[in-house]
Amino acid sequence: MRLSNITITLAVIAGLMMSSCESDWLDRQPPNILLDDQVWNDQGSITGVLSNFYDRLPAHTTLQTGWVDFAAYDEATWSGYTGNDWLNNLLTYDYGRWGLWDYNLIRDINLSIQKLSTYSTLPEDQRTQFISELRFIRAFVYFEHVKRMGGVPIITEELIYDFSGDPTYLQHPRNTEQEVYDFVISEMEEIMPTLGNGESITRANRFIALAVVSRAALYAGSIAKYNNLMPSPISLPGGEVGIPASAAEGYFTKSLEASRTILQEGGYALYNNNPDLGENFYEAIVSKSSNPEVMWVQDYLASADKRHAFTYDNVARSVREDNLASSALTPILNLVEDYEYLDGSSGELRTRTADGSDYIYYDNVEDIFANKDARLYGTIIYPGAPFRGQEVFMQAGIMEWNGSGYDMIEFADQQPDLGSVYADGGVLKAEAGPHRSLQDVSNTGFYLRKYVDDTPGASTRGNLSEVWWVRFRLGEIYLNAAEAAFELGESGEALGYVNTLRERAGFGANSLSAVTLEQIRHERRVELAFEDHVVWDYKRWRVAHLKWSGSTDNPESMAYSLYPYRVVRPGDPRDGQFVFVKEVVPRFRAPRFFRLGNYYSLIGQNLIDANPKIVRNPFH
Amino acid sequence: MKLNIIQSCLLLVLGFMVASCEYDNFEEPKSTLTGRIVYEGEPLGLRNQGVQLELWQHGYDLFQKIPVYVSQDGTFSAKLFDGNYKLTLIRGNGPWMDQTDSLDISLSGAQEIEVEVDPYFTLNEPNYEIVNDTIVRASFTINQINAASNIEFTDVYLGRTSLTDIVRNEGLGRFFGNQVSPGTAATMDVTIPDGLRGRSDLFVRVGVKTVGVEELLYSPVDNVSIN
Repeated sequence: MRLSNITITLAVIAGLMMSSCESDWLDRQPPNILLDDQVWNDQGSITGVLSNFYDRLPAHTTLQTGWVDFAAYDEATWSGYTGNDWLNNLLTYDYGRWGLWDYNLIRDINLSIQKLSTYSTLPEDQRTQFISELRFIRAFVYFEHVKRMGGVPIITEELIYDFSGDPTYLQHPRNTEQEVYDFVISEMEEIMPTLGNGESITRANRFIALAVVSRAALYAGSIAKYNNLMPSPISLPGGEVGIPASAAEGYFTKSLEASRTILQEGGYALYNNNPDLGENFYEAIVSKSSNPEVMWVQDYLASADKRHAFTYDNVARSVREDNLASSALTPILNLVEDYEYLDGSSGELRTRTADGSDYIYYDNVEDIFANKDARLYGTIIYPGAPFRGQEVFMQAGIMEWNGSGYDMIEFADQQPDLGSVYADGGVLKAEAGPHRSLQDVSNTGFYLRKYVDDTPGASTRGNLSEVWWVRFRLGEIYLNAAEAAFELGESGEALGYVNTLRERAGFGANSLSAVTLEQIRHERRVELAFEDHVVWDYKRWRVAHLKWSGSTDNPESMAYSLYPYRVVRPGDPRDGQFVFVKEVVPRFRAPRFFRLGNYYSLIGQNLIDANPKIVRNPFH
Repeated sequence: MKLNIIQSCLLLVLGFMVASCEYDNFEEPKSTLTGRIVYEGEPLGLRNQGVQLELWQHGYDLFQKIPVYVSQDGTFSAKLFDGNYKLTLIRGNGPWMDQTDSLDISLSGAQEIEVEVDPYFTLNEPNYEIVNDTIVRASFTINQINAASNIEFTDVYLGRTSLTDIVRNEGLGRFFGNQVSPGTAATMDVTIPDGLRGRSDLFVRVGVKTVGVEELLYSPVDNVSIN
């Protein structure tokens, strides 16, 4: 083979140039990777790492993750895309449904703590503060694990494989459920003095650590108490699930003390900026301007292009601004009737006369909801309630008098069905439904208000919404305090907390003169609906299998709807008035069914194969 | 021979398709394991799909259970490869005492097994009588097997289909622990709900709930007709 002189010359020159370039060619700093000592010595980068961890915190139902599952418990059903109707048709809850085994996140946090301690040359107090914040996140992740899985292995340092062929020293057995709760609480207590962050509502501070103690200790206490009251308590011989009953009092005390400290020293207050109590309760959760009630949120910001489509998917049908996907989550009558009347009577809606012989007639469709707990308005859009300044009028059809009874007419000849007009010139079916089969129209007779953004344009795909997700707010702390105080026999203190919350909802001062555990639980349900509490509450009280027994006879396992009809009865004073019919939600097929094996989630066989020291949860 | 690009591509694709065929063609499992859950040779009535048995096969890298669901007459069946299996009962899953021993099964071809359990209670087969076309009168006896257990309640279920149990039924009568005592004959009247009146097919079943146990013990489903 012959090479021309030119080629040879070029090769030589190239060779010279390369060797002369830089003597440390292989030792250069990478232009696109941050090295350990760069990351851990720069406050901005460390904050970036933290923000990544905050965003990865596990959650069951939030505005971005898993919110469709709000329709799987007794707060709502699914009225959106018909392909998601399985949510209304869950024959059972899967054993793996609430499963979590996020040791990737735990490893990342452990690694960060270790690197901050070894690489960082930041001042001591700053380093301690960052490490405290990382420990807060780690303890919170362990709390999320223990409430789903029971005890899990507590790993607090990096596990490194030595390539010896024997990985058994890396295999840790499960800690007991009690140990994990104790770990969460003691971590929070240790880091409180060094956590810093002042009044931040997106990053952890001392009061948020206290709030986690308030919630976690309450969970542990109720498991200790109520699990052992079951005919056969759910437990494992090694204590991986189940907490001894004797521990209950200690946990309730811890929870109550944490709640008291927040209430006394936290500087938070219940939101009370709007004299319209219903709007006030709605704003208490979504308002971002001078909101003293929220403690810790996952924030969204349009200017940072961090937005979510929750409003686009769930806004009421008649006020939607985009042409697709509204009304996915629709609250059910079960929840609506849990909101009491302001005179203190039960919240059951009055649709039939006392002897059941006739309907009760209402002049306006919203009259049936008059004088109810203001939190109903703040949580749910009921027929005739306004949203974004516009009335959401709902009417399922008409009741026409035929001389001896009513003919119910719901379906129009004309298409589309919605907004159709009956022969007498009045509305047949309202623009907002309810409709028995059409997707993206309420199937229950109600729409969701809580967390749905009333900013103009927020329900379009172009704008989306920047409403935040509230992880902790003072309302919950009041309820935690009330429950813990009651469990400890301090019912007077519990009564005070409950009355404060009820006063904001319009009940007037000291509306209750005595309180029962049943009432405290009821307050939790109406105050904290759609805030990811119901499943965890039912589980820790060990009532989920009774509430959701899978039987059509059990009204709490079923989902009910309320359909308004206009009366057509010319010449009669009742003509043009409204009557209401309660029935099972038409698109709801399978009663909720929670089995004993659902109290703790399935640990996958792949995990047990990799670590034979892990024992399975009961009934799996 | 000259091939243009399209032809060679087509040939290549064909080649892949032919080559990849083989790999998908595992032989399907051919052996059948069938069985019943019995007490003293008598099958136990259960809730369809409520009780799960587990089959485990040792000796392979991936250790996964093969779930086997038991149908309401206490029978089950699974299509498997020949080999050695261990059959286990999940703790607290059925209306019987926990049993930690597994059952060894060496399967070759079709095989039938009986899984012997110790139930808390048994039921003799009930008799049903229709009274006035509106009431189902069930007479049966509950036998106590495990002395330490108590009855929480006894139900008589009425349904439209042969799948009738505590979850799927159109009507029921519930009788709590103190109304039924084990060992003595019990008679119970359940009013037939309006929706089921006058059906020529009415399925009836009795279920016994033991305190602290999730699954019930059932009698076989019976078809009573109303004229």
